[in-house]
Amino acid sequence: MGSEVMEQELKDLKVELSKHGIFTTTLEEVYNWGRKNSVWPLTFGLACCAIEMIATSMARYDIARFGAEVFRPSPRQADLMIVAGTVTKKMAPQVVRLYNQMPEPKYVIAMGACAISGGPFRDGYNVLKGIDRYIPVDVHIPGCPPRPEALLHAFITLQKKIDAQQLRGAGRARHLKAETPSEYPVPDFGSHDLEPTHNDEVFPPRPESPFKVLP
Amino acid sequence: MPEHPWRTVIALLIGAVAFGITPLALAHLWALYFSPKKPGPEKNAIYECGLESKGDAWIQFDPAYYLYAIIFLIFDVEAIFLLPFAVAFTGLSMGAAIAMLVFLLLLVEGLIWAWQKGLLTWA
Amino acid sequence: MSSPSIDPVGVDVSAEAIRAALVKGVPGCEATVVENGSPSAQHSLLLDHEHAVEAATFLRDHAEFRLDFCSNVTGVDWPDKEVTEKVKVTKVVDGPDGPKEQQVEETRKTLIPGYLETVYHLFSMEKKHGPVILRLRTANRGEGNHLPSLTPVWRSAEFQEREAFDLFGIVFDGHPDLRRILMWEDFTDHPMRKDYVPPEEDEPVMDDGCAPGSSAEQGAAGQ
Repeated sequence: MGSEVMEQELKDLKVELSKHGIFTTTLEEVYNWGRKNSVWPLTFGLACCAIEMIATSMARYDIARFGAEVFRPSPRQADLMIVAGTVTKKMAPQVVRLYNQMPEPKYVIAMGACAISGGPFRDGYNVLKGIDRYIPVDVHIPGCPPRPEALLHAFITLQKKIDAQQLRGAGRARHLKAETPSEYPVPDFGSHDLEPTHNDEVFPPRPESPFKVLP
Repeated sequence: MPEHPWRTVIALLIGAVAFGITPLALAHLWALYFSPKKPGPEKNAIYECGLESKGDAWIQFDPAYYLYAIIFLIFDVEAIFLLPFAVAFTGLSMGAAIAMLVFLLLLVEGLIWAWQKGLLTWA
Repeated sequence: MSSPSIDPVGVDVSAEAIRAALVKGVPGCEATVVENGSPSAQHSLLLDHEHAVEAATFLRDHAEFRLDFCSNVTGVDWPDKEVTEKVKVTKVVDGPDGPKEQQVEETRKTLIPGYLETVYHLFSMEKKHGPVILRLRTANRGEGNHLPSLTPVWRSAEFQEREAFDLFGIVFDGHPDLRRILMWEDFTDHPMRKDYVPPEEDEPVMDDGCAPGSSAEQGAAGQ
């Protein structure tokens, strides 16, 4: 409780000082401010949602306003993977491998109904039921396809998330912890399905359904 | 002590090198202090658009590619010079037209030479 | 050789006309017209395996038909079907005054074995007519899932026959490159077959009562 009160006092002090033209900041804030305003997405589209992603990067919606217009053609230079479209089971290993090849820190936006759950093709024989089965997703956007504004909203949400990440302590960002992996196992092509069907580390078994099945 | 004539230059050189190296060094220190290194076999693997790379990147290319590139250059240069020539054709003097035809003749000669050498047939 | 212009009279490319030409032009060819009862009345021709390639080549090169373009190859799965019918049978029944013939109604169940089928839609680019629809049926859905490939006749059938092989498990004999095209190579099932069972989900699905047959619907039905 004590530290929370102190934090609030510090915040108030900052606001008060900034009113007088004095700006104080911490290393953490500068670090996060720099990172959140220069997120470079990977040039990577899987299906129709990619068209909306392209529209977002063009002049009308202009993702450059948020510092993310530099779409990188190589995962080595990218910070953000926008999974835009249906992930087929045949494509899933490639998506995971691309994610693995991105350097830290890396973030994932699952864009559209298909990327978050399989969407209208959920019952298809070759459709992965959401990319969050294999890689950690930071922001999910529903929609079929989501409008560019929705992608911008997701991006701003991601910026807020980056801004809130800590540099030290137990709650520090994922890429700053030595024990969190930077690569996740790539699924294999099995005889009936991908093996494994999901990664327990990022896709733990769901809690009990809050909706009871009536007898 | 007399002032060395290169002193300013050396001072500027040190400043220039430091200007480049300091941010890199700071970033490296930052990485040492805050972010742990996380290499891995997948992460360091050859980038092949997400696919697993097969075989060696050091393979031999047919030298015919280079010959094709050179022949392409002939036509490229030809097109670049022909366009303004065609646009200004009606206003040109006889001498200019002849000079252009000589230039074309040289290029065609090169093409005929390549043709006779059998460079246009893919081995 | 006919002229490449459009035939002013128009060639009769109905299934019946094609069948007549086939029987005449390809000796031993067994072609059956499969009726289509819908308003479109697109009747098709069922070919036998032995003469399928020969018949297809005949249709492609025929001066009047010139079916030079195979636009579509598709697979159909016809699973085993059980037909129940009531039949009146005369039987000898023991009555109180001795055996007696009597009419008895009996339900008979007949199993119609299933088969796999491919359907080819043919057009003529030169004569601008079509479609002519060909069918090929396998012997059964198990081991006898072989069909002659028509890829040597129409190159455009190559990928579509591969797709039928991938999704229905129809083996095309004579296909130059019969591999799976949509699923990965180690995949063993044929997902478009009616009896395909998708891999089981190992985590519970959230039941929000929206899907048909979900708890809310069942609850509403029970009340």
